[in-house]
Amino acid sequence: MKFDPDKLAENPFWFRECFLMTMPLGKRAINLRELLQNLREVDESVLYYHLLQSRLALTQPVVEYPNDFALWAATALQDIKLAEKLSSFDPFDYDNMEEVRGAMVDILEEYLWNLPSVPWARPGFEFHFCEASMVVIRSETPANTLKEFCQGLRKVGLDSVYYHFFEARRRLGMRHIDDFSFWIETNFGLPELVKGIRDIDIYFYTLKEVRDTLLGFGHQYLEELCGYPE
Amino acid sequence: MATLNDYTAIVGEEVIGQLHRLAERLGPRRLVHINSTRTGGGVAEILSQIVPLFQQLGLETQWEVIQGDLAFFEVTKAFHNALQGQDVRLHQSLLNHYQDVNRENARKFTWEADFIVIHDPQPAWLINEIRSRAQHWIWRCHIDVSKPNIRVWKYLREIVSQYDASIFSMSQFAQNLPHPQYLIRPSIDPLSEKNRDLTPKEIKKVLDRLQVEQDKPIVLQVSRFDSFKDPVGVIQAFRMVRKHVPCKLVLAGGEATDDPEGPRILEEVMEAAQGEPDIQVLLLPPDAHHEVNALQRAAEIIVQKSTREGFGLTVTEAMWKGKPVIGGAVGGIVVQLRDYNTGFLVNSPEGCAFRIRYLLHRPEMAKRMGKLAREFVRGQSLITRNIRDYLTLFSLQENPGSRVIEL
Repeated sequence: MKFDPDKLAENPFWFRECFLMTMPLGKRAINLRELLQNLREVDESVLYYHLLQSRLALTQPVVEYPNDFALWAATALQDIKLAEKLSSFDPFDYDNMEEVRGAMVDILEEYLWNLPSVPWARPGFEFHFCEASMVVIRSETPANTLKEFCQGLRKVGLDSVYYHFFEARRRLGMRHIDDFSFWIETNFGLPELVKGIRDIDIYFYTLKEVRDTLLGFGHQYLEELCGYPE
Repeated sequence: MATLNDYTAIVGEEVIGQLHRLAERLGPRRLVHINSTRTGGGVAEILSQIVPLFQQLGLETQWEVIQGDLAFFEVTKAFHNALQGQDVRLHQSLLNHYQDVNRENARKFTWEADFIVIHDPQPAWLINEIRSRAQHWIWRCHIDVSKPNIRVWKYLREIVSQYDASIFSMSQFAQNLPHPQYLIRPSIDPLSEKNRDLTPKEIKKVLDRLQVEQDKPIVLQVSRFDSFKDPVGVIQAFRMVRKHVPCKLVLAGGEATDDPEGPRILEEVMEAAQGEPDIQVLLLPPDAHHEVNALQRAAEIIVQKSTREGFGLTVTEAMWKGKPVIGGAVGGIVVQLRDYNTGFLVNSPEGCAFRIRYLLHRPEMAKRMGKLAREFVRGQSLITRNIRDYLTLFSLQENPGSRVIEL
């Protein structure tokens, strides 16, 4: 389906860039029971940091475990079975962070119930709780058309992709809705494109892969290439 | 002196543009950094790089160094060791001297600032003397304080609690403090004398001057002669490897001007290396950046077998040179190295020996790991990221109570 790439949006899209600062709380868990106790009490922002922000925003070397809890289970507790359970835990299966907290607590409670003793972290590998603060800057030039949007998406930093594609879900309070698909839907309709974006399984994607996938979708709807990598 | 634009070829236009935009939105600010030495050690090196760049971004930035006598630096080295877990008793007379030296230094400062960043314990007491000189006081801790000596930490905590914020290099170094704590990992300057590209001719010239032969693969450790760097453990590891594989160990150490322990550790190293012709110990002056660069580029494998570490910038430097790195599984080294990816983490001389032998037998793996290591540093550990973090922190500190601020 072809689309006029120069059709003007009713509301232009303002790319924003974001700069995250990790803020350690000075609080730690030395064994699995302490992790569970803390998970019940910490702010939602702490859960969000360790489940999503840490992996996405810090761009660590590619690791086997997709969140800090799973990584800790594997490396500090050396409990691969628990690491597997925590790896397959997908926070995007839940509507809000309270539900995420509840689900994680359930996993750990059940796991601990069946263990003969509480696993302890290796010395020096305690779990240290953090959250993040963020500074956001709006760009000076908006995207007025879908074509300009694709051009902008190609040029902005990956922090921008993070802000609009992941952080947006928390901000909008809707786990399946990001800034990009929201803007396209409200300005142009294009239900197939919107659905395609919202169906992306983001769990395993890096920010670069998300951008490449989005640009690939854009290519289908625009007559001109907007920089989709071959 | 490098300008911000000089980094564009390395990090890309977008990254440099972000720094300008952050600084513009923050607005003109006066910034003062204070530490204890202008030469030697990671802190002085970082400051010598970032201060000019802050100035280029429009922040009026000064770098002050407190002056002290030998007794003062003995006390502060004792602080350093105690904060890294050693059992140290500090008599009140020594603490009084520490405070007196800070007081004397405070008298000579006439500036006023929006932000003052105090690096490590040496100048920390200044806040008691000149609090009103700056709006925001920030304590930047570069040390591994994950398990500090509790008496010394209690003393220091009284001082640090007065600050508006603290910065640590790792989340495990954060403490129970009544103000925001931030994580800023240290960084390297890819254009500095220690990290810029060198030609084979330049490298050879340095090795010839230092009398380091390249007849065998070189295993290198670069660090101060400090017990926490475990140079004797590296020698033990090397001796195990040498039984099986021809190679050479180079231990290159510098001395910081505020480190009275260096000569004793060096003596222990010389004793441990005795009788092994393939071990070379080089004592380098604190500004031997070009030599360190050449040695790292000439090495096949780089080791940083620390038993305690702040962040481990020598690991970052080695990774930037595209070399496989074997590091002690401590401090910031565990954040940088992932086994079979960007390097290897080890816990003993035996573990170190095992990985050295592995890499010498698998040069293709060594090359792959070196490439991944370099790209990791490009994305995470260059000076541009450090500056971005400071600018972000300043913006957040000016907007307390909000976790998300839009400038």
